[in-house]
Amino acid sequence: MARVTLEHVTKQYEDVTAVDDMNLEIEDGEFVCLVGPSGCGKSTTMETIAGLTKPTDGTISIGELDVTKLPPKDRGVAMVFQNIALFPHMDVYDNISFGLRLRDYDTDEIDRRVERATEIVQLDGMLDRMPDEMSGGQRQRVAIARAIVRNPDVFLMDEPLANLDAKLRVHMRTELQRLHKELDTTIIYVTHDQAEAMTMSDRIAVINAGELQQIDPPLVCYNEPSNLFVAGFIGSPSMNFVEGELVDNGLQTGSFHIEFDTSSLVGVSVGDPVTLGIRPEDVYLVDRGRDIAAPTKPIPVETDVLEPMGNEVFVYLRVGDSGGRSMAEAEERGATSGPTGQLLMSLDSDTEIMEDQAVEVVLDRTNLHLFDADSGQALVHGIETLGRSGLGEGTTQTGAETDT
Amino acid sequence: MATQTESPTDDANRSPLQAWTHGVITDQEKQDRLYKALFYVAAVFFLVTTLFPFYWLLVLALTPNSSILAGDWSLPVIGLEFPHPQGFNVVAFVEVFQQVPFHLYVFNSFVLAVTTTIIVIAIASLAGYVFGRLEFPGRGPLLLGILVISYFPPAAFLIPLFDAFLGNAVVIPFLGIEVFEPPRLVNTPGAMIMPFSALFLPLSIFILMTFYGQIPDGLEDAARVEGTTRLGALVRVIIPLSAPGVATAAVLTFIAVYNEYFFSEIMALENVPQNWSPLVGGILSYQTQYTTDFNLMAAASIVGVLPMLILVVVAQEKIVSGLTAGALKE
Repeated sequence: MARVTLEHVTKQYEDVTAVDDMNLEIEDGEFVCLVGPSGCGKSTTMETIAGLTKPTDGTISIGELDVTKLPPKDRGVAMVFQNIALFPHMDVYDNISFGLRLRDYDTDEIDRRVERATEIVQLDGMLDRMPDEMSGGQRQRVAIARAIVRNPDVFLMDEPLANLDAKLRVHMRTELQRLHKELDTTIIYVTHDQAEAMTMSDRIAVINAGELQQIDPPLVCYNEPSNLFVAGFIGSPSMNFVEGELVDNGLQTGSFHIEFDTSSLVGVSVGDPVTLGIRPEDVYLVDRGRDIAAPTKPIPVETDVLEPMGNEVFVYLRVGDSGGRSMAEAEERGATSGPTGQLLMSLDSDTEIMEDQAVEVVLDRTNLHLFDADSGQALVHGIETLGRSGLGEGTTQTGAETDT
Repeated sequence: MATQTESPTDDANRSPLQAWTHGVITDQEKQDRLYKALFYVAAVFFLVTTLFPFYWLLVLALTPNSSILAGDWSLPVIGLEFPHPQGFNVVAFVEVFQQVPFHLYVFNSFVLAVTTTIIVIAIASLAGYVFGRLEFPGRGPLLLGILVISYFPPAAFLIPLFDAFLGNAVVIPFLGIEVFEPPRLVNTPGAMIMPFSALFLPLSIFILMTFYGQIPDGLEDAARVEGTTRLGALVRVIIPLSAPGVATAAVLTFIAVYNEYFFSEIMALENVPQNWSPLVGGILSYQTQYTTDFNLMAAASIVGVLPMLILVVVAQEKIVSGLTAGALKE
């Protein structure tokens, strides 16, 4: 058991910076997921912790020990690989006991530990099988047993479930959580699957382009994303983004206006471009929106495509007629957010709604996010307090304006 | 395939050869038969050309030397000339060891071959690991260098090496600067093993490089995280998984050294086993200025081939898979 600390870790390949000034503090016994899109440097970060890759710069400590220059074998880490990486020429027993045999444990101790590890991963009676005689899930369990048998300080898992089929993946996910509860070891888990990250981890570290974007508990990442990237990456389907501009009494986008007291926003002033973010489940039809505490004024939209998922329906909405232009603008800026002239809304599956239907929607002010469009940094999460304190009157006033 | 349903009248217009070729092209069954026939022809050809020398050796070994020198190979009743044993002189196989200490020559070759193979595999494994699994500046030029050197004719090294192994000082040409004075290595295994190792290294490096390069990175990483060094991962994971490749490289080296004559005959100043003269030297020592015991030479050749035969039969499976395939699933 140990905490893992990365300080200013940088890894540069000839002309690519894979990891850029990464600072991470992972507590003892914590389950941390590194998530990010493909090629964002999360695996490289993991490899620097394991010692398989030497960082160009920075220090890595495990426990009290600075391990930056230590070879992998002396770091007290165990790793589970994406491609499982069992030794094909050894049977299960030899695979699991590989690390123990290297360390000259006596046979009884090895037998006892292997037995316990196989019990934990439920692999009893398979010790003399060869890896190619086993199914994917069983192999993955052997790999996990091989990792836990040495009682490592830190567990590193590099997309261990990526090569399994969907059903098995969900099953192994719960097993891993059970394992973490049982062993109480520090686990660092790399995945590009945000569902895995959300369900399993104590904290999520979102990484993009080699830089740490945010490290927080899953729900904090979900509810209070620190920037546009995290907001767009966490959550499925992802958050709606609408480009707009800060005006005297709120935010003006291409097709609608949301009013709040702009004076309390730090770092931006009237006239600055601002991106509004709203999750699909925080977009309501007008009549249903009456239940929520702080709705915005209604926005006239037209439904586009429906995606019934069974328990809910995703509805694509066309906002105003400026959609095409905003989209082009967004592309010009190279923004990663979705087309700004379109909103995604999720509804109960029993809602009666048709394609190409004109409706009005409201947004839940409590869950509105504002981002500085230039830097991408979050300005505020939830604007209901801003609205109340500053412009209690203005709601009806400007509401009338847009309604016309 | 529309021609398959042609009318029989078409066939009548063709010459027999045309009809046959047409049949082979269109009729799958005829085609298979032709391929089968061709396969047997080729197989018999290769069997005859490779096995006939052995048959010939056996015939010579079993025939008393006087009959060989008489040179009459006509078959008894028929009178046709065909190599066949004239007599059953098995004693030749015993005489081989009585006339000359042939076992010592075999031992010499065996020791030279084993030592060279061990050295070559050890060094080529390290080189193969580095070339096959690591990216570093200068990798391409170094590989090219090895390839180029492997194409130098061995004879080109002979005279300078012989000069040095005699114990003469190594001198830089034209400048006359003495670099060092090597020990006198002629008549010792060192004078043979060193050049052999150098000569057979490039081939083994290339074989092992290909094999080691195919082992997935994940396996090496896993071994290193589990507690091996890079070298440990090479020995415990990469080499066992490349067993066919290692066996191929080892057997090729072993056979080449075991059969070697050119270098060892020169580095052993007299053709006696005490000077580490090899197997072929032993076979030739049945020849004196005035007599040549062809039957003993043949018998000695057969005895000398036996260890090779055993080795190949034992390692056959691995050699074949090593020479042909090599891809490894994880």
